[in-house]
Amino acid sequence: MEKRLIKVTINGKLRELFVKSNDLLLNVLRNDLNLMGTKYGCGIGECGACTVLLDGQTVLACLILAVTVDGQEITTIEGMGDPVQLHPLQESFIEHGAVQCGFCTPGMLLAGEALLKENPNPSEEEIREYLRGNLCRCTGYAAIVKAIKSEAKSQSADPGTLSE
Amino acid sequence: MKTNTKILTSEFEYLECPTLAEALNCLSKYNGKAKILAGGTDLLIKMKSGLLQCQYLIFVKKIEALNYLISDKKTLRIGPMINLRSIEKNEQVKAYYSALFEAVRSMAATSVKNMATIGGNLCNGSPAADTAPPLLVYGATLKLSSMRGDRIVPVEEFFLGPSQTVLESDELLTEICLPDLGDQVGSSFLKLGRVSADIAKINVAVCLNRNGKTVGNCRIAFGSVAPTPIRIPEAEEILKGQEMSDELIVKAAKAAAGLIKPITDKRSTNSYRQQVSKVILEEGIRSAWQRAGGEL
Amino acid sequence: MDFQVIGKVLPRKDGIAKVCGKEPFASDIVVPHMLYAVTLRSEHAHAEIIKIDTSEAESMGAVCITPTEVPDFTYNERTVSIPEKTFCDRKVLPRRVRHVGEAIAAVAAETEELAFRAMQAIKVEYNVLPSVLDPEEAMQPEAASLYDEILLGKQQLKVKNNVACERNIVIGDPEAGFAAADYIVERDYDLPRIYHHQMETKTVVCQPEANGGITIWTTTQTIHNVRQLLGQIFELPLSKINVKKLSIGGSFGSSIQMNSMIPICVALALKARCPVKLVSSREDDIHDHVKFPARIKLKVGVTKDAKIVAADMRVLVDIGAHQINSYPLLGCMSGWYASLYKWQDFRFDGTAVYTNKVPGCAMQGYGNPEVNFAVESHMDVIANECGFDPIEFRLKNYVGIGDEFWGQGPTVKSIIKSCGVEEMLTVGAEKIGWSERRSSQAKTGRYRKGVGIARGFHTSGTGGPKPGEVIDYSSATIKINEDGTVDVLSPVMDLGGGTGEATVKVVAELLKVPYDKVELAIVDTRTTGYDVNTHATRGVYCGCGAALHVAKQVKIKLLEFASRILEENPDDLDLSYEPEDNKTIIHVKRFKQKQISIGEVAKLAQIYSWGTIAVSDSYRQRNCPPCFVAHFIEVEVDTWTGIVKVPRAILLADSGTPINPDMLEGQLIGSLSRGLGYAAYESTENDLETGKLLCGGFITDNKIPTSCEMPLMDNIQVYFAHTYEPTGPFGAKGIGEAALNSVAAAYANAIYNAIGIRFYQTPITPERILQALEGGASVEN
Repeated sequence: MEKRLIKVTINGKLRELFVKSNDLLLNVLRNDLNLMGTKYGCGIGECGACTVLLDGQTVLACLILAVTVDGQEITTIEGMGDPVQLHPLQESFIEHGAVQCGFCTPGMLLAGEALLKENPNPSEEEIREYLRGNLCRCTGYAAIVKAIKSEAKSQSADPGTLSE
Repeated sequence: MKTNTKILTSEFEYLECPTLAEALNCLSKYNGKAKILAGGTDLLIKMKSGLLQCQYLIFVKKIEALNYLISDKKTLRIGPMINLRSIEKNEQVKAYYSALFEAVRSMAATSVKNMATIGGNLCNGSPAADTAPPLLVYGATLKLSSMRGDRIVPVEEFFLGPSQTVLESDELLTEICLPDLGDQVGSSFLKLGRVSADIAKINVAVCLNRNGKTVGNCRIAFGSVAPTPIRIPEAEEILKGQEMSDELIVKAAKAAAGLIKPITDKRSTNSYRQQVSKVILEEGIRSAWQRAGGEL
Repeated sequence: MDFQVIGKVLPRKDGIAKVCGKEPFASDIVVPHMLYAVTLRSEHAHAEIIKIDTSEAESMGAVCITPTEVPDFTYNERTVSIPEKTFCDRKVLPRRVRHVGEAIAAVAAETEELAFRAMQAIKVEYNVLPSVLDPEEAMQPEAASLYDEILLGKQQLKVKNNVACERNIVIGDPEAGFAAADYIVERDYDLPRIYHHQMETKTVVCQPEANGGITIWTTTQTIHNVRQLLGQIFELPLSKINVKKLSIGGSFGSSIQMNSMIPICVALALKARCPVKLVSSREDDIHDHVKFPARIKLKVGVTKDAKIVAADMRVLVDIGAHQINSYPLLGCMSGWYASLYKWQDFRFDGTAVYTNKVPGCAMQGYGNPEVNFAVESHMDVIANECGFDPIEFRLKNYVGIGDEFWGQGPTVKSIIKSCGVEEMLTVGAEKIGWSERRSSQAKTGRYRKGVGIARGFHTSGTGGPKPGEVIDYSSATIKINEDGTVDVLSPVMDLGGGTGEATVKVVAELLKVPYDKVELAIVDTRTTGYDVNTHATRGVYCGCGAALHVAKQVKIKLLEFASRILEENPDDLDLSYEPEDNKTIIHVKRFKQKQISIGEVAKLAQIYSWGTIAVSDSYRQRNCPPCFVAHFIEVEVDTWTGIVKVPRAILLADSGTPINPDMLEGQLIGSLSRGLGYAAYESTENDLETGKLLCGGFITDNKIPTSCEMPLMDNIQVYFAHTYEPTGPFGAKGIGEAALNSVAAAYANAIYNAIGIRFYQTPITPERILQALEGGASVEN
């Protein structure tokens, strides 16, 4: 099949990629760009393991044709923080025992990050509702919800972000 | 066992249409051989599970002219390419179109709603489509466009059966229009699923107007109980022009439950659907009435 | 007890890599020039394969394997039992398919798309055979049979009436026991097949090496058993097979065996002579394994003063198309039953039956959640019928300290030396408000609340005073580096529960080394001694037990080297941690002025050419102590829709010393979610005409609980009993499987307390509840 050129900003870096029309964004990220943090879990949009941010909104890379994201911006878990400079939510996940097997973790973190951007001080119900498409079989979700809630609290307690 | 959801195995030519004119032109040109890709959350699953194949895929989600939500005076016009999450977050929808708000709120996961469009939800033609019952009770109309021209179809006439609508192969849904709902109006939507964020076992929408203590206009629609989302005119008639009371609500809900003929499938059983239809409709009527300013 | 690191909440060692998406899972492994593989799976529940034509696929450039091109070796993918107790019925690729979704051929190509298209081009000619899908029908003489013969060890074994294996155990004289009973209560219970739903689908990458060997990266709970079984199947020397230890994206038993896709991938790689990667699609995965279902008949005799005098349990397990250790399963089920209450005289009859369905395999609990649901529901039924308080009745009859515990059926037993049952039941009752609990008759209205209790346990490992039918030991290598840091080489797989951190903590504690100076090495089968499996809740008790055993020897070596440097006797020296300098010193006992750091000792040992301070050894635990749990669950039933909410749950655990308290809590809460799934939502059923899965392989119709189905954070209370296991590393026992076992029964008991209806079958769905409320089920009391 014919390949088509797309220009996509991935984790802040502009990339020019040749993709086939039936290439899924998930496989382009994993196979072409070696961004392995985005996981295959079900392939039909039911588990959230392949969650990435598209122009800041959470989407599922297993149900997106790579050709359709031409000109857009994508953030994967690798763009959220790195081992030397963890994102505060990543730190919170470690601190609250929100990581067990770790397979759902990238998707959970990106969903949590998108939620906090949209709603800096969510209630527990709001967090749970926001995460309901990200399945986790290990933790029972409580530690994940706690990690997000605690990060929300620390953000809103930060005097730098307080406004009149 | 010949699927592989890790990849998209079918091959097709991809046509990106940034304008409506281009989209209609492509639809006309590849009439019958093309499928429309919007959010992809239904279409790609169907393609991955081998239920759908196409030679051409026309991508319409980026048509800016079809991505809007405009409330002028008392009507609401919705561009079909708007995603469900934007509808859910719209203050106007939340304040005045409770049934539609509750429907999109109940749907899927946040990420799916960031992708999925309301146009796609309707054109997919699922009997369980959550946006359909609210649009049915609002008396919405759909604008279907093609190179041949536009036509306006009431939502009620849009659905023909599972995965079947009146949309011709060269047509595109280009607007959803909600008419003036009148004064003292209230609406509601209820749904039961297996877990949160599920496809409905059953859903119901109610919209009614209040004239003092009596019910004015009233519409009731169920999803997932028939081959298409359906209205229940008999139950609506029981309510219309009557003084609202608990007894009246029970009477209408009981009548509706007696009229639907749901089936047993993977999500639930016919008898369960029949039983709970009464419960959710009662609650739906009650909450629509209260939202219309009525007391019980 | 005052510990330096044990019991402290510390960041998990793999935490940073996992939150950054940098932790490699098997599905992330990429090897240069590798091919991608897909499997062709049967559409039929039961059929002979007449012919497989791969010519078109091969003309597309794909490498194909069919049953005639793979070793004709009969195996059982789970090799934890001794060989003479291992029933083998499986081939790498079968000439006769026995369930829908069984792999019959495989294809590798340069891209997954090409492999898939080539797979679609393979033509298979089947002779469709009659199938059996119900376990009771399968045992009828006229039923179609799945096997004529299988292997027990190396012996041929005839299969009659599809009975895969049986286990009949009688202790004492049950008939006399029942004769002495004042009440006899009998009920039938039915537990479904459910899917593990681990987040990472089963995966394998196989790279053929220049020396004729292979390197394997795969999802597994046991790298060493994978290696050994591959050695047998492909007749390769073990020295030429290397299986890498990797993180696994959840397992819950799904990779407790050498997964059947591993030899398929190896055969492809050997034929293609290049690396091959085979990642299951979710729909492939769901056709590969389910939790063992069970139909259980239970009869219990009790006296008027609430003393149990006899019991009789009949279990029928529909194992599906293959035996993935169903013989030890039946043994374990007998043990879970025997060790819950003092039945006095009792009988267990277990039968495992073949059907044309997806094979059952271990899933968190290995028969324990099934048995527990029956017994713990039954305890409530008896208490209700005979007018006993459910908690007092349990306390009067439970198997506790000083009693014998069957850790792995009748052949692996030990005496219970630590037990927190009484403490947990007392504390739990207080926390949930047990004394205010009213009977269901007192409840009216649409929404009705109820409270239920159930208790359970799991074994910690499969050790025992004598080796039984199950192999159990573990190994570790520990090395002191020349700067005082420590490398730990452990073959024990961490499935996410924190076994790795526990191992680090145990080593750090014994050697008085700070947590941040001990690291887990990246290892494989070549660089580690044998460990049987991360199964049977043995990671901490057995795995850390081995690490502790080795650390003690390292300590001796350290003190010996230090004694030479300090010119003192080793017996007069001791280890201490110095928090100010964050270092470990060796000093003269009660005279700290004379000291040297362990880093200096290791460095001097190098400079003086004394050698590296390292020890490698194996260790078998001689006990299988039960880790006990109790669950108090509150439900709220909407009697109009049958929808149940869980407003509150109290989770109590006796895990001995909690090594990782945060992970322990995580295990308990995670198990609550899986337990609620088992109790209320999950069932992976087959179409009884075609044998196909009703969900078609898609999780859209195989729901598991989401974040919204759990009780609110503050309404989940976790409590650890204050116990110390004398035989465990620093007093620790396991927790993993125990955490799940009594959730479903507590849920069912709570529903009974809310609406007065007893459910004998899970999942207890809104449909079933409403049907029962409308008069379908008998209402007790």
